[in-house]
Amino acid sequence: MEGFGERGMSVGKQEVPASARFARWLLEWAVRHWPEETRPWGLALAAEIDETASAFETVSWSLGGIMLFARSVLSGAWAWMKLPAGGSLPGASAPQGPSLLPKRSRVFTVAILATAAFLLFLPVGREAIRTVRASWQGFQESASDQRTLEELAARAEKEKDAGTLAFVALSSTDPKRAATLTERAISFDPELIWVYGARNHRPTFDPPREEWLARLKAADPGNAVPDLLMASALADPRVDMLYAHGTPKDADFEVLEAASKWKLLMERAYVAPRYDSYFQKHYQLTRAVWNRERNLPTTFIFSGLWSHAIPDLRNLMSFAKFKMHQARKARAAGDLQRAESLIGEVDVFALRMADGSGTKIEKLIALAISKSANKGLADLFASSARPQDAQRVALRLDEIERSVQGMRPRGDPGGRSGGEQAFRREAMLLQGFGILAVLAGLAALASVLLFEMWPGRMRNAQTRWRRALCWMADYAPATLLVAIGAFLMSFLPFQHAFAEYRASSYMLRNDERLMGAMWGLMEIPEYVMGVNARVST
Amino acid sequence: MGLRIRLSRQTLAVLDALLSRPGQWLHGYSLSQSTGIPSGTLYPILMRLEKLHWLETRWEEARTPGRPPRHLYRLAGTAREWAREEIHAAQERRFWKASENEA
Repeated sequence: MEGFGERGMSVGKQEVPASARFARWLLEWAVRHWPEETRPWGLALAAEIDETASAFETVSWSLGGIMLFARSVLSGAWAWMKLPAGGSLPGASAPQGPSLLPKRSRVFTVAILATAAFLLFLPVGREAIRTVRASWQGFQESASDQRTLEELAARAEKEKDAGTLAFVALSSTDPKRAATLTERAISFDPELIWVYGARNHRPTFDPPREEWLARLKAADPGNAVPDLLMASALADPRVDMLYAHGTPKDADFEVLEAASKWKLLMERAYVAPRYDSYFQKHYQLTRAVWNRERNLPTTFIFSGLWSHAIPDLRNLMSFAKFKMHQARKARAAGDLQRAESLIGEVDVFALRMADGSGTKIEKLIALAISKSANKGLADLFASSARPQDAQRVALRLDEIERSVQGMRPRGDPGGRSGGEQAFRREAMLLQGFGILAVLAGLAALASVLLFEMWPGRMRNAQTRWRRALCWMADYAPATLLVAIGAFLMSFLPFQHAFAEYRASSYMLRNDERLMGAMWGLMEIPEYVMGVNARVST
Repeated sequence: MGLRIRLSRQTLAVLDALLSRPGQWLHGYSLSQSTGIPSGTLYPILMRLEKLHWLETRWEEARTPGRPPRHLYRLAGTAREWAREEIHAAQERRFWKASENEA
């Protein structure tokens, strides 16, 4: 094309309708911002507008010009996008001398990054990010988690949703807020009175709520757990001192004779017909809420269940040993019937506890107590010439041993549960790919931004740095995409475990798998950060 | 000579209008009026023809002070015969028909 003048177009001064004036102004504006490559054509089109005979023609001509302007802008943008990061169109300020730029075009880089972002925005991506982020926080509640809980509580209060209020109360780490929410939940639904027990003694500095436990006992009189919780709440120093110097001796148990309130509560627990620490109810409530609120952070799920209050297990062992001590005293005094009765009470309670326990640790403690009682009985029967009873007890001991072995992890000297072992490898892959994705993302962002925002500085940079940045800009986005894909694939077993938990009725296996998933996820963060990231009780 | 391209009806109409006065320089507005093609369609056609070296262009001196110069167009000498062939072929194929109000 021949050269053209730089003068802009003039605006006709005759009286023209507002639409025509606006159309002319719009075309003038477009010409001022027209891309350099096709600007002469914009000027050529704009120069013809004075020839239009009517307002309609003016508007029509101007609209045509705007369309041409838009096409030129898009065409220029597309040509720019087809260049690599740091590249510029001919005519723009070009770099001096030979330039070293990445090979991949901006289109390629944007497409890769957009695909990566899309994958992360999928529901599985968001759940994976939430879960992994929570694992690096040790599944402790963050400020945003607390806001989520408050929003959940506000909505539940509005809808009078007692279950969700109870869930928030059980998940909250603020004792005052949790107490208020507990009372509200129970006022809406008295069946939730078990929350008094599940929330007891959390956090550890929270004073025991005697009133709560008294109400719980009144509502659930046949359950041993309220009495056991009350006995734990006494925090009798004589009980605490029992194991202060290693395995207690007979003389140490004599001190407990004076702990009358503690003994009374423990005796009441021993004669209660049921043992229920309400863990199954907590499990089912969590499942119901999690099914409704799919986007709940896994922090709430894990920390809530892990922090469920169960009776002090050392207390239980102490009282069992105290009863055994009393049995030994009775036997020494020649009262074998009383000795057998006392040991029998321990065994019956242990069996009741094993049947009604919601957690693995409670079952194991119950079996340990039953084993101790049956050993005592075996000894008693052996010395009193009752071979048939002794044989029966021996069979019972074998059965207990098999039960204990069945609950122990196989072949893992580290003592990890089966659930933890199963998830350990998946967790390492998940965390590893997550870390790779973060590093690749940072590398891609840094290299692209350096080329785009400081091209002058990049021109002056040493060739080796420039080569390194070119390499990063070329390969980091693709690495990011691959890492994100692998990250999501690695998360699938965890997603499956969560889905299994949400879909199931209470089963110890599902709880173990869920906890196994949690501990597996925390292994690398604990190693990297060197902190005890375990959820506080 | 420029490359051959697939010619739309609107492009054939523009070529026909340019061929009707082969040696004469024409303005964009008059081309639009004679072909009935709006500016948003006309100018991309002109841009393509110019890029293919079929179109000669020049700027006209501004007649009125304060007004921008206008752009003028005519078919390049070597492109005229080829344009006639394309129009004739399109008419034979009944793809396009010359008419005063063709758009």
